[in-house]
Parts: sequence; C-alpha cells; structure tokens
Amino acid sequence: MTTLVSPGSATGRTGPAPVTPAVAAAAAPGDPAPASHGLRAALRRTPGKLRVAGVLVVVAALVAGAAGLAAGLAQAAALDAARADTAQLIGVREVRNDLVTADAAATNAFLVGGLEPVEQRVRYSTAIAEASQGLAGLAGSNSSDADLLGTATAGLTTYTGLVEQARANNRQGFPVGAAYLDQASSVLRSEVLPALDGLVADNEHRVDGSFAAVSQVLWVLALCVLALVVLVVVQVWLARRTHRRLNAGLVVATVVLVVATVGGAVVLGRAGVRADDVRDGPYARAVAVSQALSLATDAKSMESFTLIKRGSGQAFEETFVAETDQAAQVLDGAPAPAGDLGQQLATWVGAHAQIRALDDAGDWDGAVALAVDPQGEPRIAFDALTAAATSSVDEDVTATQDALGDAGGAVVLLGWLALLAGVAAAVLGWRGIGRRLEEYR
Amino acid sequence: MTTTRTRHPGRARRTAAVLAAVVGLALLAGCDPTDTAPSPTPTASETPSPTAAPPAAQCDDATTSYAPDAGTSVTPGSTMAAIQDRGSLVVGVSADTLLMGSRNPLTGQIEGFDIDVLHEISRALFGDPDRLQFRVITSGQRLDVLTGGQVDLVARTFTMNCDRWQQIAFSAEYLRSGQKVLVTRDSTATGIDDLAGQRVCAPKGTTTLDRLSQHPDITAVAADTHTGCLALFQQGKVDAITGDDTVLAGFVAQDPYAKVVGDAFSAEPYGIGVPAANVDMVRFVNAVLDQAKTDGTWTALYDRWLGALGPAPAPPTSVYGRTP
Repeated sequence: MTTLVSPGSATGRTGPAPVTPAVAAAAAPGDPAPASHGLRAALRRTPGKLRVAGVLVVVAALVAGAAGLAAGLAQAAALDAARADTAQLIGVREVRNDLVTADAAATNAFLVGGLEPVEQRVRYSTAIAEASQGLAGLAGSNSSDADLLGTATAGLTTYTGLVEQARANNRQGFPVGAAYLDQASSVLRSEVLPALDGLVADNEHRVDGSFAAVSQVLWVLALCVLALVVLVVVQVWLARRTHRRLNAGLVVATVVLVVATVGGAVVLGRAGVRADDVRDGPYARAVAVSQALSLATDAKSMESFTLIKRGSGQAFEETFVAETDQAAQVLDGAPAPAGDLGQQLATWVGAHAQIRALDDAGDWDGAVALAVDPQGEPRIAFDALTAAATSSVDEDVTATQDALGDAGGAVVLLGWLALLAGVAAAVLGWRGIGRRLEEYR
Repeated sequence: MTTTRTRHPGRARRTAAVLAAVVGLALLAGCDPTDTAPSPTPTASETPSPTAAPPAAQCDDATTSYAPDAGTSVTPGSTMAAIQDRGSLVVGVSADTLLMGSRNPLTGQIEGFDIDVLHEISRALFGDPDRLQFRVITSGQRLDVLTGGQVDLVARTFTMNCDRWQQIAFSAEYLRSGQKVLVTRDSTATGIDDLAGQRVCAPKGTTTLDRLSQHPDITAVAADTHTGCLALFQQGKVDAITGDDTVLAGFVAQDPYAKVVGDAFSAEPYGIGVPAANVDMVRFVNAVLDQAKTDGTWTALYDRWLGALGPAPAPPTSVYGRTP
C-alpha cells in the first residue's frame, strides 16, 4: 500500500496539480486527444475530479460484487461437475463389478453341473439386471461416454446370449455348453470389460479436472482486491484534497468490501479444501475399494476356471494370484479404514488355498465340492469380503456426493451475498463522494 | 478306406502274414498324412503347432508298439511301481468330446470310451478303476504334457503317426477311426470334395487340421477344441466341421441339425500316449489292452459309447516289434 500512496504525495504541491497517476491512468487514457478538450478542462477543476473518483468507486465496487458472484457460481459449477463425474465414475465401476459378479456366478454354477443352484442363478440374474440398468443410467448422464457405453452394451448382449446357450446345452448334458461358456467369458474379457476400463480412465481424467477447477476459482477474488485498492487510493487522494481525514460513505463501503472479500476467500477456500478432503478421503477410498472388489471378483471367476479346466488351470491360478495381490496393494494404498478389507481379502485368499490344496493333491471332486458349497469357508469368506466392500463403497459414495453437494450450496449463497455487498459498497461510495461534491455547489 | 475296419479280421493271432498286412496298412494309414503334407499347415489363424513343425518323419511302423513282457504284473523300480506309490494315475484327457471323453453335467464326472480304457488300466494297476487323476487338456497340449512329464498317459483321440513317435511313445492301437465331415442337415455335400470355397473347422494341433491343407480351396478355421468347432458351427461361423468319425458322432448326438456325410478319407489309428522313456509303461498298457480286446471288454465299451457308428467291429490288432 505504501508504494501506492507515495506518488499521491506529489499532489501536495501547490498550483494546478496533475491528477494522481493511478486515477489518471484509469480515468483518462486518451488524455492528449484533441476531442477531449472540454473534458480536460472539467478535470482540472475539483468537482470534475470528484465525479470521476465517484464513478471509479462505483465501477470498482460493482466489479467486485460481480466477481464474487462469478466465483461463487463457478465454484458451485465445478463442485457440481465433480459430483456428477465422481457419480459417473463410481457408476461405471459398479457396472464392471456387476458383470464380473455375474460371470463368477455363471462359471461357479457351471462347476456344479446341469442343475445349477437356484441361489447362483439368482445371483447371476440380479447382477446382469443391475449392470443393464447401470449402463442405461450412465448413457443418460454423460454423452461423451456414449461410444464406449455402446460397445459395452453390445458386448453385454452377446455375453448374456452365450451364457444362456451354455446353460441350455449344459442342461441337456451336452459338453458344447462348455465351449459357449468359454466364448462368453472371452467376449466379456475382450470386449465389455476393456470398454468399461476405458470409461473408467476417461472419467478419472474428468474428475481430476473438476477437482482442480474447484480450487482455481480463488484467483477470481483478485478482482475484489483490486477494487479495494481503488477505494483506498481514492480515499487517500480525497483526504489530501479536502483535508478531511475520513469519508464515512467510502469507509463503510471499504469495510463492506473487505468483509465480503475475506468472507468470500474463506468460504471459497474452505469449499476447495473440503473438495480436496473428499477427493483424498471418501472418494479415493470408494475408487480403491471398488477396484479391489472388481479384481477379487474376477479372481473368483479364475478360481472356478482352474477347476473347470481341471488340471490345466495353472494359467488361471496365476491370474488369480496376480489379481488378488493387486487388490491387496490397492487396499493398502487406500485411505483408512479400508485396512479391514485387506484382512478380509487375506482370509478369502487363505480359504482359496484350501481348494487349490485339494485339487493339487488330486482330489478334484473335493475341491469342487468346497468351491461350490455355500456354507464352505471359501464362499463364506468371499461373501463377507464382497458385502463389506460393497457397503464401504456405498457409504463413501454417499459421503462424497453429500459433501460436494453441501459445499456447492454454500458457495452459491456466498456468490449472491458478494453481489449484494458490491452493490451496497457502490451505493455507499457514491453517496460518500456526493457529500463532498455538494460542498462545491 | 471305409473298409479298413473289416480288413482286420484277425483275433490277435500274430502270424507273420497278418503282421505283414498290418504293417503295410500302417504305412498307408499312419504315415499317409505326413507323406503328402510335409510342411506346417498354412491356415489363416494358425501358428505352427508342435505336431506339424518338425520335419516329416518317414516310417512304416506308426502303429507298431512295444510288446508286453511281464503281463500286468508290476516289478519294483518300474514306472508302474512309482505310480502305485503315488496312489493315482495322472492322465491327460478331453472333457468336452462327447462319447470319447466328456464331462457329464449331471454327475460332474468325465466319461467316454477313452476314459473307460483308462479305467481298465487303473484297475490293472491298483485293483481299483477310479484311481485316475484327470488333467483336462486341449488337442494341442497332448504332446507337451507328455514330453514335459506332467502326465503318465494321454488318452484323447490321439492318432498314432511317425512324427509323434519321434517325441513320445504310443501303446498298441486301441481304436480305428477315420476322418469325415459334418455339415448342416440340409446340405447337399456328400464329402469333403463338395466343400470347396466353404469354411471348415478343425482343432489346432491335430492331424485333421494338417490334412485340411490338402484342400487349398477350403478355408480352414482352427478352434482350440473339437467342441469349440461345434459352437462355431452352430453360430454359422463355419459351414462344416471335419474330424474323426468318433468325435463327429458325439456332435450329431448334441445337434439334431447336423449330419455326418461321406466315407472316411483317412484312417486314424488311436493309441494311448506315453512319455518316450517309459517303455515299461507302454508294455504294461499293451498287456491291459490285449486283455480287454480278447475278453470282450473292448466290445462292450465300443457298444456302450460308439454304438451309434454301427455294430462293434473286431478290435484293432495289436502290432508289436518295436525296440527301444
């Protein structure tokens, strides 16, 4: 501030003092133009200068108010986008989980034989229904995902057709059913899941962009600071020119703007911090747990395939190990308290080892019996893991959406209050200058 | 070639004359494909399979195996003794070739002609037909699991030929099949020669696929297993399937809109694959096979699984004389 005031000290000279540099620069950029002779004459007199100062104050206050409103609305929009993008991302992940769940149920039921267990069938149907609904919902909410969603939906249709063909043949005791199940699984893994993974990547990108935009809004407040500088400079000039220390209107206007700016900075900043907290907390955990669940469920399909391929399932077991290891890593890296899930994952992997031990020892029938037994340790452990992971994801998604929604509401309110403050400051400032102007009448 | 089955009237009486006739036939049957198809199959989607890659072997004894020497008795230190100690016979089989080796969805058990032959070997080894540990393998894996020592035996519609003898050993022939084609019910084709310009499926790593290359005007399509071909056929992705009549009979049983046409255009002598070094095991298996062929077990198995192909022929004559 001191540097801005010091050139003003030049106005203390006698004679036809030049206009304060700061004011001159803003008010009369076309100073030497011949057309503005009248204006220059008017500006040499104090009332003219006062009027220019008044206009400056009004414009600065209104700009500050508008900037506050824009900042509030922009941040609300960014929070809204973050909310929509996180919802879309989690939605895609849920569809992916539904599909691998369906596949795990279908392959596991296949192990049982022609008469598949009702409970497995229900699990498959429910998962497919949820996946279809999920895909339809996702298609409506973000048009840029349409291509990949189309690929996924088309693949899903093929997949369910092949699974039904596998079932129909299996039911009649025809081994060609196994070939259809193989085809189904390969369609799922070569068409549908890669499309969904592409969607996940796209949406992660968008989410990052939205969260970044939330914090970027703060620099808009720089306009408010600029307005405050204008007000202060005008007051300093006025004090020197009129020999009155304070102008009530301008002082109150300044205070209003200071309060609005500081308040705005605090509210917008807190919303940004809150968004960061959400991103690093519930949102990050939801993404991690969802990814781990996806990996674990796919590994469950691999477990079934090691038994279906009977003795030639080594490659599937290697995939199982790779996927469960990766799931454990993902859970490790997730914000607490996802650690409990890591324990449950380890329990399931341990139970899976029992199946492998039986199969490796030549007791294939025993291994299958354990793998398909709803009361068996592996199934109980796996069900516990999926239930815990699902509810963890659900909680975190709700928390993410609520937090982003609340923050969005607060900043919209702030925006309108800022505009109000700007208008009030403009009125007060004009009236303050008006008082001085009246003294020249 | 359809007459190949009736050309074996002998009841395992190994006279010199029969031996000569059978060896002559073996030359014709077993080595026929490799004589005329020395290069790897140039199918569109096929990488050279281990069976087709090595230089074509010339031999006239593809069906000649090692003669049994000690019947089904097990001498200490032999391969069989080690298997008995382990407690189970590890066998490579198919789980999706109906009639020969397929998983019964109702029981979950793998069953078929090949499987029952293995049960007989288990019975001879352990006094219990069920001491089998199955490894389900694809056609293309048959040689690898034997050369890699992962299984004791492979019984999976395994055609004996000279190329394969260079890597592994075979038991005596236990079933004579022939390659035919399967087409849709309304097809007018009467044999492979009528399929010019059409897409014909065969499994990877089989003599069947090799033989398709002799028909350059046919588009060969490779699948992982025979049953993979049936799925493609039902989806209209191929027009026909070629394979051994034993396998195709299993397909017709699964699909009423398919039919097998024409005469067999090759002879496929099936043998049980054994790692090359386990000559004692080959002799043991041959003793079991000879027993089954003579005591009526073989005929009963044929009637049970392959009755759809017609009344049981005489079992293939075991040909011996190979030395390690």
